[in-house]
Amino acid sequence: MFSNFDIGVIASSLPYLFGQGMVFTVTLTALAATMGVAFGTLIAMMRLSGIPGVTHLAKGYVELMRSLPLVLVIFWFYFLVPYIGAWLTRSPTPIQVGAFSSALITFTLFEAAFFSEIMRAGIQSIPKGQTAAAQALGMTYWQSMATVILPQAFRNMMPLLLTQTIVLFQDTSLVYVLSLTDFLGAASKVAQRDGRLVEMYLFAAVVYFAVCFTASFLVRRLHSRVAIIR
Amino acid sequence: MTSTPMPAPGGTEPVAAAAEAPGDEGLQKGPLVTPPPATATGVPMIAIDGISKWYGSFQVLTNCTTQVEKGEVVVVCGPSGSGKSTLIKCVNALEPFQTGQITVDGTKVKDKGTNLPKLRSRVGMVFQHFELFPHLSIIANLTLAQRKVLGRGADDAGKRGRDLLARVGLSAHADKFPGQLSGGQQQRVAIARALAMNPVVMLFDEPTSALDPEMVGEVLDVMVELARDGMTMMVVTHEMGFARKVADRVIFMDKGEIVEDAKKDDFFGKPRSERAQHFLSKILQH
Repeated sequence: MFSNFDIGVIASSLPYLFGQGMVFTVTLTALAATMGVAFGTLIAMMRLSGIPGVTHLAKGYVELMRSLPLVLVIFWFYFLVPYIGAWLTRSPTPIQVGAFSSALITFTLFEAAFFSEIMRAGIQSIPKGQTAAAQALGMTYWQSMATVILPQAFRNMMPLLLTQTIVLFQDTSLVYVLSLTDFLGAASKVAQRDGRLVEMYLFAAVVYFAVCFTASFLVRRLHSRVAIIR
Repeated sequence: MTSTPMPAPGGTEPVAAAAEAPGDEGLQKGPLVTPPPATATGVPMIAIDGISKWYGSFQVLTNCTTQVEKGEVVVVCGPSGSGKSTLIKCVNALEPFQTGQITVDGTKVKDKGTNLPKLRSRVGMVFQHFELFPHLSIIANLTLAQRKVLGRGADDAGKRGRDLLARVGLSAHADKFPGQLSGGQQQRVAIARALAMNPVVMLFDEPTSALDPEMVGEVLDVMVELARDGMTMMVVTHEMGFARKVADRVIFMDKGEIVEDAKKDDFFGKPRSERAQHFLSKILQH
């Protein structure tokens, strides 16, 4: 199997693999993680709000997303979002969303469910006295959240948020179902074109491992540096 | 609910180091606040009128009525679980109560039309566990609410913050973080943080209970000075020495009721209730 291993096919396809494939993967990961954390934080706050309807809505959302396979959600949104867009804008024809936007929306919504659970734990880990102190100084709910509770929660939860982002980095490879070309998709295309499946898939695995392993290592390093002294 | 409790002050390395660190210049002379008339004036600052509170079916406060006049220092004491902390937290609505009314400087606490954040910004509060914001530097702790709540500019807030830090003798620590200070220093910062808002009244909820014994004095010194400057204060504490020194009145609570509400000398001289006598005999023995 390795007797005619061709390192040249990897070398010659590097510009394509990284210039297009990896750029796409990293862009999608970064955007989806940022928006996912923002939306997830909102869901976490809804869930902790103590307002019955709002709490149940948030809880239901998280349960729904966690109970569906990601691929299914990707498909579902790809075919549904154009019609929802049409309905919202009262357009007679489905709105062209584009595969990338559809994928970004899907990953954001899906990951938000997971990020929200992390943020919920983060918010709950802040002693109640902190909220009381912020309130006693005259801060409103939103002021105390924005300046006292969430900054601490983010810092405490940063390692988990980043670890979840590493999972997201791997999950973005599922965009192949929408014919988008991420890093794995690019490697796959070269592999099929040149008949070099072993080389390309092995190389892709090595790259994913190297990136994720390094990232995990850095997350651990970061954790010891940002931890708040109490 | 997983809450991270504050470690016992002095229990960790950085705290122990900070306690001996140079730059703790002790209390400085000069008023902590612009002094209003230094004695009780007869104008009620806090009027607590028949409040009762239940946790489910358990009654924690029963028909409590008292008041704190402008410029007056009132100490609230009593055995643990007597509801004294709950009572003081009702004053700035950190704890809701079911019946009765509290009026702070003319504003009703339990009223739909009351802007609670605004009311609270005028009532300083100091907590048992300090509750400094651990992710912010000391000076940022002092300026945050000034800027967000009172809308002061960064320069004004910073100046006010540094002035108060100097008053509590902690100027050198402005750029440190709360975790680097000892418990006593943190509590002095917490007092300065509350004063930075120019409160009309200060509430203290067992401010020295979480401190190592050798740090109690420095916090009480700040409070004594504050009282002598004429600040209106309501203080939940077991420090009877503090009560003797600066209190005008002492309120004794037991089982959610105000059992005794007397002038300081009357309270220490001849408490009328048996329960107060019993309590005093226990804590004054040592």
